[in-house]
Amino acid sequence: MGNEDDNRSLSFINTPTPTNAGFLERGRRIKMAAEMGLVESSRGRHWSRALRSRLLPRKGNSACGCKEEGTTPSKVAEDLVGEDGDDEVMEIERRLRALQKLVPGGEDLAMDQLFEETADYIEALQGQVNVMRALASLLDGLEKEKRLMRG
Amino acid sequence: MEPTRSSGDGSGNSGTYTPEIAESLRFEEEIQSFMRENTVHPSLEPPPASGGSSFTALLGLPANQAVELLHDPESGDSPAVAAAAAVSGGGEMWRFGLRDPNALTLPSGCSPTFPSNAALVERAARFSIFAAEDSPDAASVPSHSGDHSPKLKAEPPDTESQPICPIPVERPQRPAKRKEAEKGNKVKGPAKKSRTAEEGSAKVAEESTGGDKLPYVHVRARRGQATDSHSLAERARREKINARMKLLQELVPGCSKISGTALVLDEIINHVQSLQRQVELLSMRLAAVNPRVDISGLDNFLSAECGRVMVGNGRGGVWMEQSAWMDAAAVNGGRRQQQQQQQQIWHLDLVHPHQTPSVWERDDASHLFTNPNPGTSLFGYDPASSVSLHSNQLKTEL
Repeated sequence: MGNEDDNRSLSFINTPTPTNAGFLERGRRIKMAAEMGLVESSRGRHWSRALRSRLLPRKGNSACGCKEEGTTPSKVAEDLVGEDGDDEVMEIERRLRALQKLVPGGEDLAMDQLFEETADYIEALQGQVNVMRALASLLDGLEKEKRLMRG
Repeated sequence: MEPTRSSGDGSGNSGTYTPEIAESLRFEEEIQSFMRENTVHPSLEPPPASGGSSFTALLGLPANQAVELLHDPESGDSPAVAAAAAVSGGGEMWRFGLRDPNALTLPSGCSPTFPSNAALVERAARFSIFAAEDSPDAASVPSHSGDHSPKLKAEPPDTESQPICPIPVERPQRPAKRKEAEKGNKVKGPAKKSRTAEEGSAKVAEESTGGDKLPYVHVRARRGQATDSHSLAERARREKINARMKLLQELVPGCSKISGTALVLDEIINHVQSLQRQVELLSMRLAAVNPRVDISGLDNFLSAECGRVMVGNGRGGVWMEQSAWMDAAAVNGGRRQQQQQQQQIWHLDLVHPHQTPSVWERDDASHLFTNPNPGTSLFGYDPASSVSLHSNQLKTEL
């Protein structure tokens, strides 16, 4: 499903950088690669699609097929809270909006979907973090050994 | 997710659904035959065969007869009737909604008569409830029926507010009718008491939202709560949302003990933010790893295959490594040379120190991997030279 597309689209990450390229630039690229990893790990998800379209410069984004449910947080906040006071509802609304901003593609989602996507996103993030941590420590270990070997 | 409104069968006017009329007629015939067998209440003359009007007649049946009707029909009719779950006392009823009835496909060739039988189901449910209960409850049925009938008529098009008939325990479910079977199971276990039914309701709500094969949602109307269609739908939504919130709470560490929606949401937001920050920090850390030079074989790292190789459990891993390596190694064009082996090396290597191999081996369980020998060469820098291209075994030398 879009293997070629992946290849082409991610190629810009692959542009040869001289080894003394800016540290920040490399960091940024790695972060982008990490986010692509996130995308690839949960392909079918709405947040995955949103994240992907954010990362990749795409022309002609028309056939997205994403549903814009647009249940406003206010309405759902009421559902959540029940019939509590208004200020509570506003508090919850605020948090829901913040959550919407955090989760990629969250603005389009209705509340129940938002929670579902958030759960999946959290899992994916956690997995990504684990992998990166493992990779980092592995590389560090290898580097240390290499240094030892050399010296 | 939420079931779309079924072609709202009102109390008795199901004649609008041409596809179902045939089935409803068949059902009617059976019902009528049963009614003739039993002593029929004088007010329940078998009505002319029009869409759903016979159902109302059935609905007027006294409890035991309704139950019998529920039991007897062996054909694929009245899936709703068969769906009866055990019940609740006093004014509570199971309701469930349908998706588009035309989309209903019952296994084993059951005819989807359900939508047209909705009204029947509701009434039968109410009656059968009481059949399952003690006689005093059964006696109370007729008095309730009057209350319910106007409600019944009033809630025509709402998909979600169609009560299920509870079947007394001895008739567990019709295995052919997957919907009811599942629903019946869930509801029946708790049997006839309201408290157990309430336990079941939470379960049912969750299951119905969790498992997407069931087209309808159970919403339990508690005592004293409004049972009109709108509030029921709202309640269903609310329960669904609460279920999701609970799921999120379990996901976020330390959230289960927090009470109060706002605080829980706070925790969730904090958790997401912290994870995102960790990703960023780790990517910086990886960038700080000294770039290695002259990696001839690394250019093929960037490949689409990594998506394939990715495992559900170990999210995001392979991509990350490859890109990091590539970037660090100043890749120069020429991808896809030895993608697959490279990827395999990479993720297997990664697995070894930190993760269970099972996670990564999902895609190709036959990968064998020898522990990298420290000190020979850098990890992954001689992939082209040292890797044997067997699909089964990979060795890397480090």
